[in-house]
Amino acid sequence: MRQAARTAAGWPTPRRVLAVGAALVLATGPAALAARPAPDPAATSAPAPAAGTSAPASTAGTSAPVPAGSERGEELFRQQCASCHGEQGQGSQRGPSLVGVGPASVDFQVGTGRMPLAHEQSQPRRREPVFSADEIASLVDHVASFGGGGPQIPRVAHGDLPAGREIFAANCAPCHGATGAGAALTNGRDAPPLYEATAVQIAEAVRVGPGLMPAFPSQLLSDQQVDDLTTYVRRLQSERLDRGGNPLGRLGPLAEGVVAWIATVGLLVAAARWLGRRAGE
Amino acid sequence: MIVDRFARALDDRLRLSPVARRALAKVFPDHWSFMLGEIALYSLVALILTGVYLTFFFEASAADRVYQGSYAPLDGSTTSAAYASTVRLSWDVRAGLLIRQTHHWAAVVFVAAIVVHLIRIFFTGAFRKPRELNWLVGVTMLTLALANGFTGYSMPDDLLSGLGLRIIVSVVESIPVVGSWLAFLALGGEFPSTEMIPRLFVTHVFLVPAVLVALVAVHLAMVVRQKHSQFPGPGHTEHNVVGSRLWPSYTLRSLALFLWVLAVLFALGGLVQINPVWLYGPFSPAQATSPAQPDWYVAWGDGALRLFPPWEVRIGGYRVPAPFVPGVVVGGVTFLALYAWPFLERIFGRDHRPHHLLDRPRDHPVRMGVGVAALTFYGLLVVAAGDDIIARLLGVPVYDVLSVLRVVVLVLPLLTGTLAFLLARALRRGDAARLGDLTRADLATAHGAERRPPEDASERPARDRPGERVEMWPEGDVWHWRYRDAPGGLAVAGNRAASSEEEAASAARLAYPGVDRVVVPGPPLPAPGRLRTALRRWSDRALGVSLLVAALRQRRDRRRRDDGPDTSAPDR
Repeated sequence: MRQAARTAAGWPTPRRVLAVGAALVLATGPAALAARPAPDPAATSAPAPAAGTSAPASTAGTSAPVPAGSERGEELFRQQCASCHGEQGQGSQRGPSLVGVGPASVDFQVGTGRMPLAHEQSQPRRREPVFSADEIASLVDHVASFGGGGPQIPRVAHGDLPAGREIFAANCAPCHGATGAGAALTNGRDAPPLYEATAVQIAEAVRVGPGLMPAFPSQLLSDQQVDDLTTYVRRLQSERLDRGGNPLGRLGPLAEGVVAWIATVGLLVAAARWLGRRAGE
Repeated sequence: MIVDRFARALDDRLRLSPVARRALAKVFPDHWSFMLGEIALYSLVALILTGVYLTFFFEASAADRVYQGSYAPLDGSTTSAAYASTVRLSWDVRAGLLIRQTHHWAAVVFVAAIVVHLIRIFFTGAFRKPRELNWLVGVTMLTLALANGFTGYSMPDDLLSGLGLRIIVSVVESIPVVGSWLAFLALGGEFPSTEMIPRLFVTHVFLVPAVLVALVAVHLAMVVRQKHSQFPGPGHTEHNVVGSRLWPSYTLRSLALFLWVLAVLFALGGLVQINPVWLYGPFSPAQATSPAQPDWYVAWGDGALRLFPPWEVRIGGYRVPAPFVPGVVVGGVTFLALYAWPFLERIFGRDHRPHHLLDRPRDHPVRMGVGVAALTFYGLLVVAAGDDIIARLLGVPVYDVLSVLRVVVLVLPLLTGTLAFLLARALRRGDAARLGDLTRADLATAHGAERRPPEDASERPARDRPGERVEMWPEGDVWHWRYRDAPGGLAVAGNRAASSEEEAASAARLAYPGVDRVVVPGPPLPAPGRLRTALRRWSDRALGVSLLVAALRQRRDRRRRDDGPDTSAPDR
């Protein structure tokens, strides 16, 4: 499908795709399908790492109930994105330019449900993605057709856990917290908790730097280091690390203090009170 | 039986019984609020028990150590020995995490219990003469508890506590002229020094606990020596204590509380995670984590640091850095005020008499107002320490939260303090028994003439109070006495038997001065239970029957002997 999109990118205006007609739809449809052999809904939260970057030789022949990738991508873009980002992704007063943001950024923003925005807000929040994995992939392709390059969707492999912990402590913990619970930043924005991100989304965020987050290009963190990091963050998400019982949101000593006071007043003082009452009888 | 023999053996050698008899007969008031200090005491016991276990495994050293164990993200990493041993304690030592978490929970509950106890003492005026000394000891123990909490929290050398330690060191350094020298002296070098952790350790497990335990002993000895204070009530005077004896009733109650404290602490330790240092990672000066707060009992200092604007002044060529006022001055003034309060109240209230009967909180509106204002202030400072968490939960800018809190922390204590003062005054002068009964009329009459609280009834001569008497009666070779208020339907028995009538009379005179004493035949013995009655009846019958049988047999034997002397004679 990526190949198909790039073909489309060569054209002067994507709008013409509609004008050209059904012939191209029929031609590109099977190829797009072939790039997504298993369009399962689970892929929305965890897109297969290889899906965007490698389009294997099309096993054309499967029938196409949905329109072709670039077609669909353009349609979705015009419906959901163009009002803010502009028809050509050139940006407007309401939204930034998408030229050169790269597939990783689009996949991250749409895949985590941050885009499209339901209403204007300073910091988009993670929610259920609006689009299916297929639709996201076609949007990614369509935005890539605006040109400008940008970081590709990273391929994530298993990395080294202790090395990942060190990278996390040095680069991520100051904002996201050592426990990954997230923390406040300036102007009412915050570094979100990391507990729902998939491995690919973590790697995408590292490369892209969405929102206030700095981007970490490969000059700063090698692919191997990103693999280590995602491995550690995935481990950090696991409840097995909360060995001591209820983690209290991993919010730290103040949450613990609240529990201590509840226990002191609610259980211990209440017990003393009960014992004193009994004595009076 | 064994206890009896053991006690006798001890008594033979040490002559303990006079002391023990006195101690076991000591009376404790029954009101529940007198057990709050015990919660702190038993938390301290739990702290010592769990702390000893932790010292077996904790390695107080900043030396490099390679952690190898079941916590995979750190496996093979080089950290300080203190941190590596704490992670090992949490992940690889049997029951290590349970004990470590219980220790930490016990610490936060310990300080909370001390504060609750302090609030009770403060609002009931239990610090008044002659108990000012014990108040001083108590406040000292609070400072030591804070110090030990903080050293214990900092020892594992994890990232979160390292940030806290860095802040405290900065606060110390902010003291003009001597600050840097003090910090150097304490750390043995620049922060973070290699000396730091061993010194924290010695302070935490030896120095402060030793002083703390010694002060606990002094605290309790003073309570025993000075007799317990008590709330006013029927039969309660400035000269006695009405309640339960130490043995057996109070011992059982206290033991129940002890077990309950242990149960709650271990349940917390097993069920609720506290200070997961493995997640925080080892301390490194270049790293940080967020949100970062200290334990709640230090958080008021952190809150003050966050709220105080970055003002720096120069005095005589010396710069006073911004952390000095919120870090050193606020903390210093807090504890100075705590130490000085009994004396301030004595001087400004012109009340130099000793008090053994407690105030109800409403009896002293000024104290009430000041106390509530102070509690609000420090509560808000703790809240301010969580400004970033609040900002995130509410989705508002953190600086807005700070600005709002800066105002609130100054205004709200004044409001709550004034409100508490007015309510206490209305309660004291009006007829309302509790807050819910207050009417608008009560609040309105608050400005009217003050209705003096009734004089201590026990100070008046007894003829003003008919129906009251002290009854004394002999029982065997000892004398008992009791105070009886016939109209009130009240009888309070003396806690110890006296060896003579004079002794009983003097004890009764001490407890109830001015009350007439009479010698009575003694109260009727309690009616025995049904089983006991039945047993006694049956045993009486059995005795009668067996006597009868024995008499009959004897007579028959004698008759037989009389009948056949020939046969029996050779046997003789």
